[in-house]
Formats: sequence, structure tokens, C-alpha cells
Amino acid sequence: MLDAYLQTLLSGLAVGGVYALIALGFSITFTTTKTLNFAQGEFISFGAFIGVTVLLLVSGLAGTATAVPSEAAAAWRYPAAVIAAGAVAGVMGILIFVLAVRPFAGKGGMNWVMSTLGFGVILQSIGLAIWGPAPVMVPSPLGDDVLRVAGAGVRPQELLVLACAILIMIALDLVMRRTRIGKAMMAVAHSPQTASLMGINVNLVMIGAFALSSGLAGVAGVLIAPIASASLFMGMGFALKAFSGAIIGGLNNPRGCIYGGFILGVLESGVGLWQAQWREIVVFGLIILVLAFRPAGLFGQAAVDKV
Amino acid sequence: MTPKYAALKAALLGSALTISTVGHAQEIKIGFNGDLSASPSAQSGQAGVLGIQAAIEDINAAGGVLGRKLALVVRDDLSQPPKSIQNMSDLIDNEKVVAVLGPTNSGNALAWKHIPNQKKNPSIGCIGSATDITKPMGSSTENYMYRVSMVDRAQVAGLIAYAKNNASTKNVGYLVETTGYGQGGLKDLQELGDAKGLKPVAIEKFGVNDTDMTSQLNKMKAAGVDTVLVWAQGTPIGQLVRSMEKINYFPVTLTSWSSDNASFFDTAGKTLAEKPIFMRTITEDRTPKQQQLYDRLAPKMASKSAFSFAAHCYDATMITAAAIKQAGGTEGPKMREALENLQAPVEGIMKTYSKPFSATEHEALTASDYRWTHWKDGKLVSYSDDVVKALKPSDFTQ
Repeated sequence: MLDAYLQTLLSGLAVGGVYALIALGFSITFTTTKTLNFAQGEFISFGAFIGVTVLLLVSGLAGTATAVPSEAAAAWRYPAAVIAAGAVAGVMGILIFVLAVRPFAGKGGMNWVMSTLGFGVILQSIGLAIWGPAPVMVPSPLGDDVLRVAGAGVRPQELLVLACAILIMIALDLVMRRTRIGKAMMAVAHSPQTASLMGINVNLVMIGAFALSSGLAGVAGVLIAPIASASLFMGMGFALKAFSGAIIGGLNNPRGCIYGGFILGVLESGVGLWQAQWREIVVFGLIILVLAFRPAGLFGQAAVDKV
Repeated sequence: MTPKYAALKAALLGSALTISTVGHAQEIKIGFNGDLSASPSAQSGQAGVLGIQAAIEDINAAGGVLGRKLALVVRDDLSQPPKSIQNMSDLIDNEKVVAVLGPTNSGNALAWKHIPNQKKNPSIGCIGSATDITKPMGSSTENYMYRVSMVDRAQVAGLIAYAKNNASTKNVGYLVETTGYGQGGLKDLQELGDAKGLKPVAIEKFGVNDTDMTSQLNKMKAAGVDTVLVWAQGTPIGQLVRSMEKINYFPVTLTSWSSDNASFFDTAGKTLAEKPIFMRTITEDRTPKQQQLYDRLAPKMASKSAFSFAAHCYDATMITAAAIKQAGGTEGPKMREALENLQAPVEGIMKTYSKPFSATEHEALTASDYRWTHWKDGKLVSYSDDVVKALKPSDFTQ
């Protein structure tokens, strides 16, 4: 039975790594602009297909309708696809900010919710026109053989996602706390007006936040594709779970979002060992509890509005 | 994949447009209503339309029906029930089609099955497999829902017969996804299992987008399950066998026919894809007639494993044409009478249909038309072992 528990933990961390990576993206825009990109899910799907396209282009191999040949992900090609997807999604992120968020950000009302959701629908429709509805299996650059850790099995790609989530988290943490850009972002988050008076280009920081957050979603898409297979419908489910993770951990704390993602993954996996059909109920029950008792999330700092 | 898909879509749209705008008064219109673009099952819908178009070409080349040409009117329902309902009314009331083929998603057929019955306009399903699609709405009402495809309950009967007659099966477990498809399958599994005296020692569920089912499998393993009956879509079954490999637990795996999807094969990978055994209507050991249609449609088909739907829809069109011929016209009630009492046998791709439907039987393909199938070296081939050989038709009773 110990095997089963270890497997549960490992599987949960693997899935949690995916959630954490996306949750981070939600946190970045929230901490700087107080808005969220609800098209995050579509950015993941879109990023995955950018990755598929790049893999096929740079390898010169022909893919079938539903799979990319495994040689296409060999050597430098997979990292190239990850970077390309991140860059393209980042540019789209600037687009979504300029077109769908800036006109509404900072004003009353929730117009940006609808406009970002709408942007996502547009993105998905464009994706369907280009790539079609079929899921496409993407090979892992590290191969597909199960690795055994004390009797529990895990695939190399799952470890890669886990490692990437942690690395990106540390890198972002350092940028936010140690660099001028990070400090500018935190200043904008605190008060755009004050930041602007201090000579910070608020607009540029906000654009940067959306580009970074969307770029992360694109990167996540290519990283998840070998686990879940790339599909234009895959992003939504992950994004919803990641958002839940972000709420649990605390939207205004990037570290908290990462922890929230991992907590959610392990919790899901653990509930599966008990009664899998109760999973969603447990997860969303927990969210309600967290919101009731710690509205800023488990790791979030309660904002104090000084009047 | 991109240009091929775009070309196919253009071809589908183009033909739909020309047919629906040119429309001669004498033409007999047949409708297709199903998902062609919005969900992973759209590939099945695309293959279905290709099959109908091929059948119409053949019929028209031979002079049409009652001296009139057949024409196809295609409506994409984007896999959404409201859109599908709207299409149904549009096809029957505005386009005046004499019968509607499709849909791709079972749920959509269940959402509009009252429409063909109210408007007395036959609907011949050739893709969706949910058991309830062809069930009459009431005991005394006339039923205009027919099908030339697989039926979930008949597949379930087959899987249960296999488990029941396998001497080495001691403990069975049911594994289903949490969608309507999975829950419908679980209901069939439990009802037929009870009727046949098959008691599962574990029942587990998983989400359609899950990438790791090791928790559920570990519970099955702990319960001593040696045979799992799985009801889910292609991709999650692929994830399931991948999870089996993670914990190195490989019970006998009997699944719904969705394991024939390319998406299952690609997710599972070549080796693991060979684990499940399932039933489907066509394997790669095709009959000469099937091969002929396959060669004709292969260049246009995005997903080769969706060929069975092209064949079903081809046959559904042929049966519709035969009914019009026998009825001597296209009035719904007369077509229904003809469908339920077809005099001349209909030469189809799957088989020669002699009296495919009756007042009570609305399924043209039944368990005896199904083939046990598995993946071998990347191909869908017939599966046989001692259990399959010993199965008698009486074992499949529902």
C-alpha cells in the first residue's frame, strides 16, 4: 500500500506542476493590473499548437493528422519550440492587453472579464480554422519510458514540467524581489498613480505583465502537450484548475500560487485514491472554505485599504 | 495536416453550397446534421459526409431514385445541442429534406429526437451510438428514429459475454469516465451485468481530461481485479493504459469502441495501444467492397480510423434510397412503412441488408455484425482467442 501512496504523491505533484505553472500566469497580471486574463486557457492550447508547428517546421518531418513523429522533438528542437511558443503567445498577450484589457482596466465594472473571455473564443476559433479539432500527440524530448522511484512510476516529461515550474518560480521570485523591473511591477500593483508619479512607465509595465503571463501560458502549452496531447480544447480545463489553485494559494502572491497548484494536484490525486467521483466536490469545497476563512488565499497577504 | 484539413473543409462547404443553392425542383434532398468542425469527434462527421456523398454519386450515376436525382444538404451543428435542434427544423421545414442522417454526437440526437417523430420525417443515425437514440418515445407512438451504426448496449453485452465466458477472469472492475457517455455506459454495464450474474468488485470513475489514473487503478489492484471493463472516449483510455504502465498493472482490458480512435492510439503509443480488446464494425481486414470505398475516400479522409462512419453513412443513404423507391414517393409515413418492411435486399458496404428494420427493430447492425478488434503493429485488426471462438450468439442477448 505504501507504493500506492507514493504513486499518489508523485502523480499529484506531476499534475500539480502543470497547475502551478499556469497559476503563476494568473498571478502576474493580477498583481500588476488587478485584472485577469480569462483567455489563459486558450493561450495554452494555442501555444501547444505553435509548438507543434515549430517542431514540424524545424525538423522538416511530416506529421500525421494526430501525431508528431518522435524524432521531431530531438535535441535542440523541443527547446526551440518552447521558446517560439512563449514568444508568439507573449506577442498575443500584448495584443489582448491593448485590445481587450486597457480600454477597461482601472475603470469600474467587469468589462475586461467579458472582453478577455471573448478574445479566448476568437483565439480558439482561429486555432480551429488553422489546425482543426483533432488532438495531436506531441513526443517528449526525454523519451516516454516510465521511470521508477521506489516502486512508483513517473514519466520523464512529468518531471520536466515539475522542474520547469520550480525553476520559473525561483527565477520570477528573484526578478520580482531583486531587480528594478520587479520593483516597478510591485509599485504599479500597489498604486498605478503613485508609480506613475515616481517616473515609472505604468503602461509599459502592464504590457510587460500581460506579455509575460501569456508567454508563460504558451510555454506551459508546449510542456503539457506530451502529457495531455495538444488539443484546442485542452487549455480550458487546466486553466480552471490552475485558477482554483491560484485562489487557494492567494492570487496576489506568486509563490502562493505555485503552492496552491501543487496542493490542488496532490489533493486531486489523493481523493482519487478514496473516491474519484468526489474529486471536484472536494476541490471546490476547499476553495469555498479558503475564501470564507482566508479570502486572500492560504499564502496571500490581506490587502489593507487605507482611506 | 493543415492543408489537407482545409481542403476537406472547403470541399464539404463547397458541395453543401452548390447543392443547396442550385437545387432543382425535381431533386430529392437528404439532410446531414452533425458536428463537422468543433469537437474531436468532428472527424467522424466529416467521414460520414464523405460516405453519404459517395452513395449519392453512385445512386445518381445509376439514374437516381424514381427518375429524380438525390442531393445532400449539410448542416454543421458544432456539437452544440441548441444548434443541432435548430438545424433539424431548418432542414425539415425550410430545406424540405426527406430524411436526416447523422448526428455526430449522441447527445444531440437525444436532444432533438422528438422533432423527426413530430414531423414524421425519418432520421437514420450513422455515427452516434447511444442506446436510447432509437428507442420509441412512447409505447404507442410511431418511431422515426433508425440507425446503421454501433449500439452501446450491444457492445456492452459483448464485453460482458467475454468477461463471463473467460475462465481466467475471477474479479471484474468497471472503469468509466464521468461524462454522459461514460455514465450511460456504466448504467448499461450494471444492468446487463446484473442480468448475467456478473458482479464487479470495484467501480471507479475518472475525468475525460485526466492525465493520470494511477489512484483509481491502485484501488482496482488492491481489490484483486483481473479484468476491467472500460467505458470512455479514446484519449482517456489512452491515458488509462499509460497509467497502467506506471504502476505495472495490466489486467485484461475490455473497452468501448472508442479505442479505435487515432487519438487513443497516439496517446497510448504503439506498444500500450495493443492492450485493449474492443468491438467495432470494420477492421483492417476489409471486404472487397469496403476496400473499394476505402480507396475511393482515403485521399479525402483526415482520419483513416473514421472510415467505419463513411461506410455506415453510405449504407444509411442506400437504405433511404431503397425506402423512397419502394414507397413510390417521399412522404414520411410512407417512407417509414417502407423502411420497416423493405422488400428488396439492399447492397451495402457493411453487408447486404435484407429487411434491416421492422416496427420493433430499428438497428440495421447488431452484435453479429460486430468484430472483435485490437491494435497490432499500428493497425486495427481482428482479434481472436479461445474465449472469442467459444462465444455463441445467445451469449450476446440483451
